[in-house]
Amino acid sequence: MTQQRTTLWEAELEEDLQDVDVNLAIGTYGQNGLYDDAQSRINEATLIAAQQQMAQAAFSQVPDVVKRFIVHFHQAVLDNNLAEITVAYESGWNRLTEKFYAKTEWPEAEVIAPLVNDDQIFLILYRELYYRHVYSRLQPDIDDRFHSYENSCELFNYLLNSDGPVALELPEQWLWDIIDEFIYQYQSFCVWRSKVKSKTDEEIVLLSEESQVWSSYSVLNVLYSLIQKSKINEHIIALQEGKSAEEITEIVGEYGARPLYRMLGYFSIIGLLRVHTLLGDFTLALKVMENVELSQKSTFMRVTACHVTTFYYVGFCYIMLRRYPDAIRTFVNILNFILRMRQYHTRSYQYDQINKTADRMYALLAMCSALSPMRVDDNISNIVKERYGEQFTKMSRGEEGLPAFEELFLYACPKFISANAPPYEEGDQLALYMEDPPIEPAQRHLSLFLSEVRAQAPVPTLRSFLKLYASLDAAKLANFLDADEEEMVQQLMIMKQTSRSVSRFDTEHDKGLLDGQMASTSDLDFVIDGNMVHIAESTLGRKYAGWFIRNTEHAQRVFDSLRNSPLPIPPKTNALASKAAPESASAAPRTGGRTVAWGGVKA
Amino acid sequence: MATVALNWASPSTRTPLIENLVSGVDRYNPNNVGILEDYLYHQIRSQEYDCLANLAILKLYQFNPDLYNPDVVINILIKALTSSPFPDFNLCLSLLDERPVNQNADEPDPLPSLLPLLTTLYNLLQQCRFPAFWATYRSEEAEALRDNYTIECVGFENAVRDIVIRAVKAAFKRIGSARLSSYLDLSGEEMDTYVEKLGWSIDASTGVVTVPPNLDNNPQSTVVQESIQLPQLTKIITHATATA
Repeated sequence: MTQQRTTLWEAELEEDLQDVDVNLAIGTYGQNGLYDDAQSRINEATLIAAQQQMAQAAFSQVPDVVKRFIVHFHQAVLDNNLAEITVAYESGWNRLTEKFYAKTEWPEAEVIAPLVNDDQIFLILYRELYYRHVYSRLQPDIDDRFHSYENSCELFNYLLNSDGPVALELPEQWLWDIIDEFIYQYQSFCVWRSKVKSKTDEEIVLLSEESQVWSSYSVLNVLYSLIQKSKINEHIIALQEGKSAEEITEIVGEYGARPLYRMLGYFSIIGLLRVHTLLGDFTLALKVMENVELSQKSTFMRVTACHVTTFYYVGFCYIMLRRYPDAIRTFVNILNFILRMRQYHTRSYQYDQINKTADRMYALLAMCSALSPMRVDDNISNIVKERYGEQFTKMSRGEEGLPAFEELFLYACPKFISANAPPYEEGDQLALYMEDPPIEPAQRHLSLFLSEVRAQAPVPTLRSFLKLYASLDAAKLANFLDADEEEMVQQLMIMKQTSRSVSRFDTEHDKGLLDGQMASTSDLDFVIDGNMVHIAESTLGRKYAGWFIRNTEHAQRVFDSLRNSPLPIPPKTNALASKAAPESASAAPRTGGRTVAWGGVKA
Repeated sequence: MATVALNWASPSTRTPLIENLVSGVDRYNPNNVGILEDYLYHQIRSQEYDCLANLAILKLYQFNPDLYNPDVVINILIKALTSSPFPDFNLCLSLLDERPVNQNADEPDPLPSLLPLLTTLYNLLQQCRFPAFWATYRSEEAEALRDNYTIECVGFENAVRDIVIRAVKAAFKRIGSARLSSYLDLSGEEMDTYVEKLGWSIDASTGVVTVPPNLDNNPQSTVVQESIQLPQLTKIITHATATA
């Protein structure tokens, strides 16, 4: 089987790799390091030799096609050839994973080191991919978790603490994935760490000794350092002020001028948004975003996964700040974008991830719409109804909808973490901790959210009664509701409160995501005059513009095609037109030379 | 003009030193916790409020459990109680990670016993159940909270009344003085002076308080007509000029 697969692969790869001599690359290794430590003690040398042997045995297990891939990949990185790196990164790696490493690790970096002349930088990048694969496909053990942390540190250390900016260039997608994965592994570690019961004694010892591994401080430190080094905030502000390219180069300095640092800086801002949300600091999460423009036109939004993540977390923070209209607008905005982009994403390896996030946003949108009914785009509201219609109906009924809120919240919320480890270093406290474990972070945030929901529970019923009248006596209304009049009047005040919300809608957008004005969010308004309740309902007039615009555009198209059609009588014009057609077709050739597609692009 | 949210996110009373801590990376430096705590006590004394600065304290406590000071946390929560329409109280609770029960018997942690009460008070305010709020607040159960904490917080009761006023102003055109009195927990002359200070008027014969018209207590039935924006028509106009 393997044999067959390999040949298939070789057939596809042979031409692309003809200028790379794999044997040469391996050949140089023998001299490279084995005898460098001439002074080392004998048993150390034996040890190295033994390791060497094991590595060589492992090396011989690596399929040739993988070796070729790594050599080529390495070369692309050495050349800073973004196109080739992208192909290797997005296509080659994933295809080879499917073929050979769907259920096992990729070869360890030490094993493939000879292929890349022991290039430490490439090996760090390789390990970045190696561990990401372990996390996504396999079960990372404690060693994987510690080592992936070390590797991340090495990578960021290299980027931040070399003499001046490094010359490395990587595709934007990969840079996003580096930050994204860094935070994912941190989050995953925190969750894993909090589960004391499943830890072995050995793991407990390790965890108590290495309390700095994946600490919140170290993660934040990396993100803030990247932001500061790249001067990304200064960069965004300069762009907003319309500064010229020269002025911007001046402002951002030698680091910020390089795409690698610029993008890492930007992605780190989004990373902070995410980390602060995971830790339950929703205000700070939005505050670090104060310079970022949530616009699809922004050049920083080219990486779709980043774009989607940003809106998800921003929307979620708005929910926790009880700014439901802002949350709704955020979700509708990105969900529309995802719908429009769908046709382009189906082949992306992140398609699944984006779809999952989108589904969670539909759930959050259903929650917000129940709490603060608002007209939203028909396409979007239809999907909400289709997927979460049942829950939506329950949630729109006040108190009895609480289980539905709970269900959707737990499904769609971020994977909250607690900032601190269980007391691994102190045995007796750890025993106490296990006996009486703290409430899980997600449950804590859920109960806070539900307390906000519960406060406005009486609103839907009141609303349905008020809708029937232009004015009525408060005592009579209380009677209908089978409630005490004083209590009912207090509920009316809640209703008034929930029909107002702070919203960014009418503010100047350069003041950041926390800015907002008080706005009315309901079509049903009322006032209590002594003992009478007066109700006023606003309605939406019929909309004509869309219809006229669509039909005008349609008429223009009809007119155009009529005008461009050849007249039936004179045959000359006809010939001309048919001659023009093939020319225009050939005028759009494929640009550029052949690119290497690892495994070929699936049609 | 600063918006309501901007006043909240960066109040004009915030000094440059604090602004630097709130907005910069120095907020993570545990050595700065004292400055922020002093600022909190300044807020307590001078009826100022700065939510983000107080959240920065809780953030430092979150990352450095050793710094944890229950009195500071309780004072932060008391300030947050009266910050309607923002959910500051819950934002603060979000940052309070579960912590192991304090083993030190000499210095018992007052927070666990006060937290349920504070949460109840917050929920009552959220639900506009003002008479119930005052009843709970004045109850024996809340004695420790009053005697040890809110008494130090200058203007606490009036800050609660500000919340009442906000809710009443939005929902009422006229309100019976008995009802208003139960919301404000004021009566007789105190109540009269308070209402007068607001610029509201009491009809002495009927005991009805008139609330001046504002943006919220004057609902109108409207028909929202669509307004067509130029960008919607760009495509048509561009096309028309191109083919003209």
